[in-house]
Amino acid sequence: MRPAPAAALLFGLAAAALLARHTVSVAALAVVLLAVCLRAPVPRRWPYLIGAVGSAAALFVLTPFVERLPGTVFWSGPTIPVVGTLDVTSTELSGALFNACRLAAVSLAFSAYALWLDHDRLVQAAGFARRSVLAVALATRLVPALERDAAGLVEALRGRGVEPEGLRGRARLLSPLLAGSLERSLNLAEAMEARGFGRAGATRLPQPQWGLREPVALAGATLAVVVGALWL
Amino acid sequence: MALARAENLSFAYPASTAPAIRDVSAGLAPGQVTLVLGRSGSGKSTLLRAFAGLVPHFHGGRFSGRVEVAGLDTRRHGPARLAGTVATLFQDPEGQVVFTRVLNEVAFGLENVGTPPQEIEARALEALESVGAEHLSGRLVTELSGGELQRVCLAATLALEPRLLLLDEPTSQLDPEAAEALLELAVRLARDRGTTVLLSEQRPALPLTLCDRVLFLEDGHLEFDGPVDQARAWLEEHQSSFVSAGGDVGVHLRHFGEVACRLDRVSYAYQDHLLVVDGASLELRRGEIVALVGRNGSGKTTLAKIAAGLLEPLSGRVERRGRATYLSQDPGRYVLRERADEEVAVGVGGDLAAASRTLAAVGLAGYESRHPRDLSSGERERLALAAVLAPDPDLLVLDEPTRGVDPERKHELAALLKANTERATLVVTHDRAFARAVADRIVSLAPDREFVHA
Repeated sequence: MRPAPAAALLFGLAAAALLARHTVSVAALAVVLLAVCLRAPVPRRWPYLIGAVGSAAALFVLTPFVERLPGTVFWSGPTIPVVGTLDVTSTELSGALFNACRLAAVSLAFSAYALWLDHDRLVQAAGFARRSVLAVALATRLVPALERDAAGLVEALRGRGVEPEGLRGRARLLSPLLAGSLERSLNLAEAMEARGFGRAGATRLPQPQWGLREPVALAGATLAVVVGALWL
Repeated sequence: MALARAENLSFAYPASTAPAIRDVSAGLAPGQVTLVLGRSGSGKSTLLRAFAGLVPHFHGGRFSGRVEVAGLDTRRHGPARLAGTVATLFQDPEGQVVFTRVLNEVAFGLENVGTPPQEIEARALEALESVGAEHLSGRLVTELSGGELQRVCLAATLALEPRLLLLDEPTSQLDPEAAEALLELAVRLARDRGTTVLLSEQRPALPLTLCDRVLFLEDGHLEFDGPVDQARAWLEEHQSSFVSAGGDVGVHLRHFGEVACRLDRVSYAYQDHLLVVDGASLELRRGEIVALVGRNGSGKTTLAKIAAGLLEPLSGRVERRGRATYLSQDPGRYVLRERADEEVAVGVGGDLAAASRTLAAVGLAGYESRHPRDLSSGERERLALAAVLAPDPDLLVLDEPTRGVDPERKHELAALLKANTERATLVVTHDRAFARAVADRIVSLAPDREFVHA
């Protein structure tokens, strides 16, 4: 399938997850998107899955402590200045589950976009704002690039006989990782300019014709938004 | 008449007080292949960037003099305008890739310069074919080896059919056969199409047999400009390290001690089940320096990582005595701390005194407080070397330690490695002259994974 309709379909599913009002509906959307992500190769999918599922799990755990909603009290904890009494109620838990499913669905839609779509063709398909689309495509590649850089830094450390241990040891890699990505972006910008990027009168590779799947995907995207807004 | 000309060109980068290029004047004739030589930091890359218009348009800084390419003054016409007339192949292929698929990557420049859409694919494929990479057109760039990626980047520049081709150390990641093929292609373009080629190199032996003319830069100043025959004589007299085949580093009668590392029929495959190392055996003794050579993709780095203990073989046995350290190909991985001495001290439990001694041993005395990212590429290479030397390992594994290093520094590195008689050293290298200069034994990892000892 061409990437633009596929991106539209993923966007439609993410929008449906944001518009839906029932936890079961949002959870079902998240499961469908998770299944799509799980079909990607293992080494590529794990940073996305950890990010999506981890952030959703964190939201589920933290929300009941910061919300103050009535309901059956399952646990009552100490009173903390400013925050008040910590407790967990049935309403807070169901709200936390709903928001976590919603975050998971949106994150997994982005993960599926990053894992499956041919970003090159997405850029080429952009009839307007090509520069912005290229910027988004390059940003999408940041995650795997950072992952490769992190693996390289860890390998160089191990090559000196030092094992980065624990969260603190790995957290120390963040600053060099960010600095390295800035350095790389400058090199890339220079190479792009040398190859004429930004010059007036640019053309592009001809695009292949649409088949049956492309309009079906666009219709599916529209349907997902409408169904999400009205019935889910 | 010259296609491109620099007149009294001087340039200093914004953060630097010293000029990178000082009063350089040179003309480049159509169909001529010109080789730029000089030590690391002598201004070679800056000169190439000036002909591409990247200096001063991209980098900023203080620019004086004049550079003209095909009648266009680079002060008034930026790199994007010059693209197509000029094409540049940079040192690091990974840093210049925009797209994820090879064909799109090669087509990118053609799209930017407004090539008619129906011609783009044919020209991109033709360029890939000219570098022997047409079979890669549908591949993801992330799946390519360094050598393959370099060829794809070269194809991307050739697709533009430039009148001036700038090659900045284009063979630094290539094995000798691939390097020869690349340079011969550049010469063929000059002879057949009249393309003007300006290339910088740190492995000058082969380019000196192919080029027409040589420029030698020293501290940004043009010390020599003349035909290649005169250049050889001048280099012999003034810069002999650039024409010697490695030379004698002054240590003789080496005795080898006990085995520090033994690999016995080891095999390794990556996740895609591609067998990279298959039943390889290798023995390294204390005091011995072994050079591991072979084509791109022959499994040299994998074998080196197995020797250093960074990879566990799928089968076979590894015996290692004492501590091993491994120098990565990428010096950008040795930038974890804010100061050079702290970076080197990472491997020795923060011992700054030991770090300072090691910095001095690699020629970086006085650099202790400098930030690793502020160092030049050649200095970063030496910092990385210091980082793996500081723990005083029993087994030292160096992966392409001469990439981007000038001949004089290579000579110093060879002397430094040979001075230690207690350590076993494995050097993975494409640089045959360096291998001959430093190694007691050269092991060739042939494409069929058989070892050839020399």
